[in-house]
Amino acid sequence: MSISRRGFVTSLAAGAGALSGGAAQAGSVEHFEGYPGRYGLLHDTTLCVGCRSCEFACAKVNSLPAPKDPVGDLDVFEDIRRTTATGLTVVNRYREGEGNQPPVYRKLQCMHCNEPCCATVCLVHAFTKTPEGPVLYNPDVCIGCRYCVMACPYYALAYEYDNPIDPKVMRCTMCYPRIKEGLNPGCADACPAGAITFGRREDLLEVARERIRKFPDRYINHVFGEYEFSGTSWLMLAGIPFHDLDLHANVTHESLPAIGTSYLSVVPLIVTIYPGLLAGFYAFTKRKDKLAKAELEAALAEERARAEEASQAKLAQAAEKAKKDKERAVEAAVSKALAEQGKGGAS
Amino acid sequence: MSAASGNDGRRGLFTPFNVVAGIILIGGAIILAVRFTTGLASTTNLSNTNPWGLWIGFDVMAGVALAAGGFVISSAVFLFGMKEYRPVVRPALLTGFLGYSLVVIGLLADLGRPWRLPFPFIKQAGPTSPLFEVSLCVALYLTTLFVETTPAIFEWLGLKWWRRLVGQMTIVLTVFGLILSTMHQSTLGAMYMVTPTKLHPLWYSSQIPVQFFISAIAAGIAMIIIEGWISHRAFHDQVQITDDEFRNINYGLAKGGAVVLATYFAVKVVALALDNEWSLLTTGWGAWYLVEMIGFVLAPCLLFAVAHREKNLAMARAAAGLTVAGVVLNRFNVTFIAFNWTVPQAMRYAPAWTEVWVTVSLITLGVVVFKWFAARMPIMYDHPDYPALH
Amino acid sequence: MFFTLFDFLTHTKGVTYVLVGIFLLLFLSFWRFLTEREADR
Repeated sequence: MSISRRGFVTSLAAGAGALSGGAAQAGSVEHFEGYPGRYGLLHDTTLCVGCRSCEFACAKVNSLPAPKDPVGDLDVFEDIRRTTATGLTVVNRYREGEGNQPPVYRKLQCMHCNEPCCATVCLVHAFTKTPEGPVLYNPDVCIGCRYCVMACPYYALAYEYDNPIDPKVMRCTMCYPRIKEGLNPGCADACPAGAITFGRREDLLEVARERIRKFPDRYINHVFGEYEFSGTSWLMLAGIPFHDLDLHANVTHESLPAIGTSYLSVVPLIVTIYPGLLAGFYAFTKRKDKLAKAELEAALAEERARAEEASQAKLAQAAEKAKKDKERAVEAAVSKALAEQGKGGAS
Repeated sequence: MSAASGNDGRRGLFTPFNVVAGIILIGGAIILAVRFTTGLASTTNLSNTNPWGLWIGFDVMAGVALAAGGFVISSAVFLFGMKEYRPVVRPALLTGFLGYSLVVIGLLADLGRPWRLPFPFIKQAGPTSPLFEVSLCVALYLTTLFVETTPAIFEWLGLKWWRRLVGQMTIVLTVFGLILSTMHQSTLGAMYMVTPTKLHPLWYSSQIPVQFFISAIAAGIAMIIIEGWISHRAFHDQVQITDDEFRNINYGLAKGGAVVLATYFAVKVVALALDNEWSLLTTGWGAWYLVEMIGFVLAPCLLFAVAHREKNLAMARAAAGLTVAGVVLNRFNVTFIAFNWTVPQAMRYAPAWTEVWVTVSLITLGVVVFKWFAARMPIMYDHPDYPALH
Repeated sequence: MFFTLFDFLTHTKGVTYVLVGIFLLLFLSFWRFLTEREADR
């Protein structure tokens, strides 16, 4: 096969370009704009009168039982409520009316975040962020681990704890089927006070800013949901600090998924570095053992040699002594014999 | 051998231990039957605000940390050549295998649809999720631990060829186990990085994965000491090492425990400094944080150190107890005590007695199965027919 | 073209998991290749 080197390199580059889909996106510094033209909702809490029509409309649209507490029953506002498996949205009162200051209400529901936590933490990818804006949940793959319920910073998800067969995560869907048909979400249609506006998110941001410009004494100068944790589809205006509405103010613009998955980039490094590192430790241990063993054997050999030498020396010494003893004995015998002979000869 | 299991022919099945264990296990089974027929609401205090409770906090989070002894000691012996700890490798690996099995059983009780447990691998994967990585690693590690337990089983069954095969895999399994353990122990902590608004800042940190990993090593070492204390006494006639050798193993483990806890303490202090959280120490939550840090990290660290210096076995065991309690306390804090700390008191979570009973049942099951294994198989001793693994 | 960080991460982490899985298997073979003649020496 004769491909010229240049041809090879260019075809590699072309292939890489095709794989990355056009402009290379470097995730670590990239800012993801989200789907253009996606929808959102604007909730103007200064207009909300706490009628809870949205709760009833939501139940109707989703074929869920209507809220137990009837409209106009003010006892329901005694406690701060959260969404439930049958109540996908609730309205809470965060400040009682005082003098000519009206009470302050806020509607709670899934915020349909730009970068949803629930989607990122789901181990079966049960959530998707649609191009239209809503975050959707697929109960057909859900295993019921409830990590999404645990992670959501807005406490927007509920779970069917009393269902043993097919418990599902229950949350606002932004009336996705209705949106696809060109209708408004149920709550937006039902609100008599105009506190909920449905439209394209970028348009709603303009509307919100315009309202703040027109009535600077009525509104806090901030559109909640524009940038908090990378932003949400539900935008909010308020006349009291957002913190008093149980919303976390002054948080980073970085998305929670980005914060939450940052550590995960280390994990592949453990897989790629540990094998070589641990094989190295093992080899080092084996080498240490081998050296220790060799040293031990050398010491033993030396000891053996020394012992051998010592016993050789002892043997030689004993042989020498035996020789000397023998010589002495022979000398003694000879001199004795000579002495006896001398004695016999003289007489 | 039968005397070691606490059963003698006369009393048969109904020893005090067996009766108590039986009651606990039967009660647990009944509660789980109710849970599976009527849903989680009937047997737990879980809510939409508190979707994770004792079964995640103890069975999963603490359970995985307490089962860490397996990878710690097998790495020490097989990769770093600390052969003097060989006698405790098999009990630790068995504890690990049983521990992780109980984690999975506990998880099956807690999942909304437990029959869908394999879905992330066979139906659709969510690779962005820390929990995906945890479940993949735990599944692989449970398999690894099982294979590391088979040498004892094959020796018991006399399957020489199989025993030789798995024996040759020891190093690979140990390396794989250390890789997997590093990943999932730390990622269990990383699961909380996505909840900075819900977990109290003294426990929330960008370094929570490292903190979880190091504390798991401490928990593993402490569990080897505690489990050794109980099984050494229960199976004393099987044990081949001298009392002196056993004591020295414990003193060595105490030394390791002291070093790891000192490291963990330093890592936590660094986290305080990096996030500038000193002023939080003077709050109510700060006092609770100091209880965990001083009473259950610093104290056992010093106790371990003194126990090693003075060769005091009772002190080492006390330190081990404090360490285990400390890691459990830390996991509880992260899962439901310091988690949701801003939620009004009426909506806070406390475990239901049924949740506690099921958790105790799982622990009991682990002890019963460990006893069964150790009474029959070469766990507490080396089989004379087989060469020692490495 | 990825519009959200979530889609980007889903793709990149999925690829990474597969790659490291392959690496582990390859490393095993690589290690065997590297050390198989050590016993002879």
